[in-house]
Amino acid sequence: MKYVGKSIDRVDGVKKVTGDLKYVDDLKLSKMLYAAVKRSPHAHALIKNIDVSKALELEGVKAIKTGKDVPQRAGLYLEDKYFMAVDRARYIGEAVAVVAAITQEIAFEAVKLIEVEYEVIPAVTNALDALKADAPLIHPQLEEYYHASIFHPVPGTNISNHYKLRKGNIEKGFEEADFVYEYNFYVPHVQHVPIENHSAIAQMDRDGSLTVWASCQSPYAVRQALSVAFNIPLNKLRVLSPAVGGGFGSKAGTTLEGVIIPLAMELRGHPIKLTFSREDEFVNAFVRQGLHSKFKTGVNKNGKIIAIKNQYVWDGGAFNEYGVNISKAAGFAAVGPYDVEHIWADSYCVYTNHPVGGPYRGFGMSEIHYGIEQNMDIIADKLGIDPVEFRRINAQKEGGRTATDSYITNCGFLECIDNAADAIDFNKVETPSGKYKLRGKGFAGGMKAPSMPTNVASSAIVRLNEDGTVYLMSSAQDIGQGSDTVLIQMAAETLSINPDKFTIKTGDTDHTPYEWQTVASRITYCAGNAVVKACEDAKGQLLDLASIKLGFHKDDLMLEDGYVKAKFYPEKKVAIGDLALGLTMPDGSGVHGPIIGRGSFIPPNTMNFDLETGLGVNPVAFWTYGAQGVDIELDTDTGEIKVLRVSSSFDVGQVVNPILLEGQLEGAIVQSLGTALFEELMLKDGKPVNNSFVDYKIPTADDMPEMIIIPVENPEKTGPYGARGVAEPAMIPTAPAIANAIYSMTGVRIATMPLTPERVKKALKENKETGRTYFGVDSDYEFHIK
Amino acid sequence: MKNFDYYKPDTLKEASELLLKLDKSYIINGGTDVVVRLRNELMEPDALINIKEIKSLHEIIEEEESITVGACVTMNEMAHHKAVIHDFGILVDAVHYAGSGQVRNLATMAGNICNASPLADSATPLLVYDAKVLVYSPNGDREIPITEFFKGVRKIALEKGEIVTGVRINKYKSVKGVFRKFSRRKEVDLSTVCSSVASVDGEIKIAFGSVAPIPLRAYKTEEFLKDKELTDEVIKEASKIARTEVSPIDDIRASKEYRLDMVELSVVRGLEHIRDN
Repeated sequence: MKYVGKSIDRVDGVKKVTGDLKYVDDLKLSKMLYAAVKRSPHAHALIKNIDVSKALELEGVKAIKTGKDVPQRAGLYLEDKYFMAVDRARYIGEAVAVVAAITQEIAFEAVKLIEVEYEVIPAVTNALDALKADAPLIHPQLEEYYHASIFHPVPGTNISNHYKLRKGNIEKGFEEADFVYEYNFYVPHVQHVPIENHSAIAQMDRDGSLTVWASCQSPYAVRQALSVAFNIPLNKLRVLSPAVGGGFGSKAGTTLEGVIIPLAMELRGHPIKLTFSREDEFVNAFVRQGLHSKFKTGVNKNGKIIAIKNQYVWDGGAFNEYGVNISKAAGFAAVGPYDVEHIWADSYCVYTNHPVGGPYRGFGMSEIHYGIEQNMDIIADKLGIDPVEFRRINAQKEGGRTATDSYITNCGFLECIDNAADAIDFNKVETPSGKYKLRGKGFAGGMKAPSMPTNVASSAIVRLNEDGTVYLMSSAQDIGQGSDTVLIQMAAETLSINPDKFTIKTGDTDHTPYEWQTVASRITYCAGNAVVKACEDAKGQLLDLASIKLGFHKDDLMLEDGYVKAKFYPEKKVAIGDLALGLTMPDGSGVHGPIIGRGSFIPPNTMNFDLETGLGVNPVAFWTYGAQGVDIELDTDTGEIKVLRVSSSFDVGQVVNPILLEGQLEGAIVQSLGTALFEELMLKDGKPVNNSFVDYKIPTADDMPEMIIIPVENPEKTGPYGARGVAEPAMIPTAPAIANAIYSMTGVRIATMPLTPERVKKALKENKETGRTYFGVDSDYEFHIK
Repeated sequence: MKNFDYYKPDTLKEASELLLKLDKSYIINGGTDVVVRLRNELMEPDALINIKEIKSLHEIIEEEESITVGACVTMNEMAHHKAVIHDFGILVDAVHYAGSGQVRNLATMAGNICNASPLADSATPLLVYDAKVLVYSPNGDREIPITEFFKGVRKIALEKGEIVTGVRINKYKSVKGVFRKFSRRKEVDLSTVCSSVASVDGEIKIAFGSVAPIPLRAYKTEEFLKDKELTDEVIKEASKIARTEVSPIDDIRASKEYRLDMVELSVVRGLEHIRDN
């Protein structure tokens, strides 16, 4: 292949490094007003009264809206979300009123003048407490909420979704097992911290049409949600996402757009801008949900896992409209990349008075694998089997079954395991750098499917110009992952036109064609398929015209380097640009007209699962498998960890752009390393206490390990050029691999993230004093749910 | 954020007069603490007085006996100054861990000590060097020993109208020692505990930050170590004494217990370094 598989430069690179690319907050529109939000200081409170009179008197204030102005609920999978609290505030930071003013400063001042009378009611600030019979209900009207049929909210409880997986016979499985082990794990809330804060501008014209500029991953999903919530027809609602400075899931679905639209509806003709501060970003955008996980594992002495019973309890926060799907995705992958005959899994998404949980790179997989992969390690150690070998024994392989009992037909997991272990010399003992230091290695695997509904659609349009250049149009958003570049590479390959002749246009629902969402590691696969189909459509038109022009049957024509050529007489050719506007006949007449290719795609044959058993023949488009090894050093006196090396091997089907792939896999390692070592959004009685970079730490350049990336390429047969998604899966194994490395060095197992110096030191100290080796979670070990 | 007046005087006299004349007036130097506090509405001044126009404050003056670092010398200028590197390695190491590279391009050591955070990165090296804080005063210049400069959290020994003009450190014949910062993340973080442990012309001096309302010297530990050979036993005992000289608290960065452990560890590793190098 000429362009697929080559490391071409990012097509958006120059604009990004020079600052020429304009993000939403860079946009300054005439007559623009600035918004600021009044937020709840209480985790759970009834709103008795809101007095905006003083704020309205402040000079420069144009309008104020409260929840009562937007009482309708919205949501992607479960309509439980209010854009602003109506009669009840459900987390600290929830919007209760919004101001529009002529300057940002006035808007901030006005917010201080809004007086809200609350009646504080008991809050639920732990997901396990939320499940107790006497827990206060956060959504008492849950039974009235509309939800997609694949979800199962439990009215009268705080459970927004209960996904069940029942495979085989769990009791029989435990009876057959030689050993049964039980362990539990906890992963706290973390934040995405994209470099660009959320920002949106809304403007409603006097004819009722609404334009929204949003830093969002999914302009079409935003358009759909806003259309339903505000009762505006889709053709009158335009969503533009001019650029996204990092999303990682936090800009999926709608976040802040719905807060400013009520203002725009009143202040017609005025664009209203709202931009989050960094402090807002930590609390008022999505957070990654906390997870309590618990595993009971039955295993044979030869190392074969017979049965796993597990429970996942997701701390979904105040609204679970998006989070319910994370609990479902976790159920599909209940036991990770292992083939287990008997599985009984319950995955609960639970309301709490915490910030709103939502999509975060990995969509639940990083969180469950923190438990799955440590559980594997513990059991391997108990059985005296090498942890890599134990994974090989139990790995999903071609001919085996996934957790949902689907046949596995394409799986490079074993190859990934071997690559990752070899690259880091897994069993070689390394020398620590000095006194007080230990050095050790850890290993983990991981799997993920695109977590998307079965029928999500993509489309693309390709338009040829008369000079042989090309416009490619899609609504796949380049959120930093490089989609603009790889979509062009696939289009270039299909049309055999150099990538530098392409311009890609995205992110405008009035002009670029439908794309469900830029999430789920699905863009290379889904949008890529649509792009290839659009280019094949254009190619068909080109061949038809060239056939007339050159006098060859179209089967005997090919596209090469900007020309249509006769396969056996390559000197017989016509430039693609000469056909772009149609073919001119010898008599001067024209035929066909401009060439426009269109492509539509839906993942083939993905189908609903059984609601009672959770099983399904083909519930996901594909699985991406991979494994990582880490080599770390630990200062036993301080608890400080330095990650020295990480190997990462994933089966990506087909590498489209090697440098971008490396960057993406390295970024995934670093992001996972951050969650393993530093990151936790600390919530004390529902109040975030470290919502700024002063006290929420992510990795710096100093924390970068040496990273060894080894792609595996077993083509995905439904993928464009065989490619499958990898953006999220690549983040899964690093964190548990680090925890496993600590165990391998110290014999101490720490079941809670992050592995801060203090937490590690405390465990090592206690281990020295009492011999304790397993440090489970702080909350009750047993949690039973009927 | 409340509006305030902004002054840029050319002389210390003018700056001092403004401080005396204006209520709620504060010096702004590098601005890396003041601007953050303004943004977070932790301070609401009526006036800010920028001293960076005062040329004399930008100098590093090397003399035979000492080096004086002007109040407006940035941390990066100081940390890359040959004489400072040569004579005050512990200070250079400490300053390297203050904020980020960008912050150090603006921040100054004078600002760092005047901000008087318990965990000021430059404080513990200055304490073990027994540095002198040079002060312009309406009543005549004076010097304050660094050991008497910190009075409490964000409280210092300056009177109204006084301005720190620089810090003078004596050149010693021999200094051996280490700065150590414990933090959640190695770079760009606040100290959980910071410490300087040094042998200065043969005398052991130890200072800690982030374990008391002010950065402080561990005098009892120093006294215990006087004229003692640094055997493993002596080091261990010294580290236990140091533990009693500090009064850390639990906060979101670390627990009291962890801080005490790191105080102990600083002494052990610091003294071992002095002994073994």
